[in-house]
Amino acid sequence: MDDSAKRLLQRFMRRIPTQMLKTTLEKWSRLTVAQQKSLDFTQSKWALTEALLDICEENKWTTKHISELEMIYVIDNPNQGMWHAFQLMDPEDDAHSVELTQFKEQFKSHLSELIRHVSVKIKKHTDEAVWIRIAWGDSYSRPNHLKPTYVVHYLQTPYVFVTSLTSKQKPLLSQALVLSTRHHAIKDANLSGKKFTAIRDLLMRQYQQAFPTKYPSPLKEKNQTVSNPLIEREQAGPAANRLQMACEAFGDGMLPQLQSAVYKLETKFRDQTNKTMTEREESFRCVVKFASTNLLESLRDCASSGIASTPVTPLLSSIPLKGRNYFVITDNSPGPSSQMHQKTDG
Amino acid sequence: MSLLKPFSKLPGLNTANILLVESEEQFQQSLADALVEETAVTVNVRLAKSLPLPMENEESRPRIDLVVFIINLTSELSFQSAEASLKYLDPGYFLGKVCFMVTNARKASAPTERLDAVRKLAASLHCPLLFAEDQTPDGVANATERLLTILKVSAGLVPMATALYLSNLTRCTVPPDIDQPSFD
Repeated sequence: MDDSAKRLLQRFMRRIPTQMLKTTLEKWSRLTVAQQKSLDFTQSKWALTEALLDICEENKWTTKHISELEMIYVIDNPNQGMWHAFQLMDPEDDAHSVELTQFKEQFKSHLSELIRHVSVKIKKHTDEAVWIRIAWGDSYSRPNHLKPTYVVHYLQTPYVFVTSLTSKQKPLLSQALVLSTRHHAIKDANLSGKKFTAIRDLLMRQYQQAFPTKYPSPLKEKNQTVSNPLIEREQAGPAANRLQMACEAFGDGMLPQLQSAVYKLETKFRDQTNKTMTEREESFRCVVKFASTNLLESLRDCASSGIASTPVTPLLSSIPLKGRNYFVITDNSPGPSSQMHQKTDG
Repeated sequence: MSLLKPFSKLPGLNTANILLVESEEQFQQSLADALVEETAVTVNVRLAKSLPLPMENEESRPRIDLVVFIINLTSELSFQSAEASLKYLDPGYFLGKVCFMVTNARKASAPTERLDAVRKLAASLHCPLLFAEDQTPDGVANATERLLTILKVSAGLVPMATALYLSNLTRCTVPPDIDQPSFD
């Protein structure tokens, strides 16, 4: 067992919570029953690491086996790190017939053509997702297993989710993905978040969605908070109206947990009292960022409580509608006298 | 623009009507639930986000005996909304039938300037200023009790006491040196 495998195991043990260790090791299914029994999970992590290292040494397991263990843990706990979504474009005719073994072979061969030192591990998860773990090296160094890139692709869909990818590795991964999934291009889906499940659900529409036609009238049955005849809401009508508007924009069920939405403004500065800024030729650049533990819930609440104006502005409602949380806002037509027509683009 | 008037309608027998105005519509609900528990008098509670009140409820609305503006000190919007609502009240209300209730005053995130602004506002309108804790059941019970005391007087249910008389004793006053920098 070499040094890098040892370090990988130590790092893995540092990351994993003790209560999850047992189930993860069981899923790994490389330990014999006797070995499983010999591990005392009430011990300290340090002692457990030493025991595991001994077992690995005994069986002459290498980095390959340890990275398998890490992968099992990451697949079970995907809501860590920063996930970015990508979308494959222009499918070829046979794109829909790509199946797992073919994809596996193609992806590996394409990637190893592009870069010599790379270690790829592909595993199919139960829910049709293909998980890819890539340890990158460069022309002179062996693959670094301590900083792997995780890629999740759902076969026959154009969606790819990636975590911890550097800009240097991005073109390599893009090319390998495009070729092996039989597409022509890949583009950034402008969606990122800390929760993998949330951005997957948002992009692949796997949550209870808003259908504007679903609410023809104010939600009477949901508005029965006031039951006492002595208590009366003066503005019950507008409140119900706001709630309806909010539900039309964001739906009324659970929403995927997004952490942030970023709007990059590249518009002209407009303020009649400030001539110097208004008459400048260049656009006024600024970034507006909304952050919350559950952004979509917060926005819905803002709209229904009247903090944000209703009907919800398309800028906010297009987060769930278009499945993205990064927008660039530019002016439609140049010139300071033009109206406030804006389009979202990016 | 409809002005809410204190004496445009006849009072009901053994009834007191209170209007709770809060832009966030959080605390007013729990307060209302506690207020209607009162058994000695029938308490009608009207909830509003802001004034003016909608015209279509004009008919069914009883005579409002006390208007309470609930201001969350951590939110500027809450203060501004209350301030904007004030001008839809008939001046007659300010003879003891309006009070301000402030929540979250103990939070560190509430700027002291805002509390000063609320105090000045209450003092300039000769209204009492109450402080309430909205997170705990005890705090809600406490606030309810205080409001009921004022409500009963302003509804004319307490012999020998009038709203104007009570408000002379309870109205908020601002110390003359509130704008001076403190020395501590």
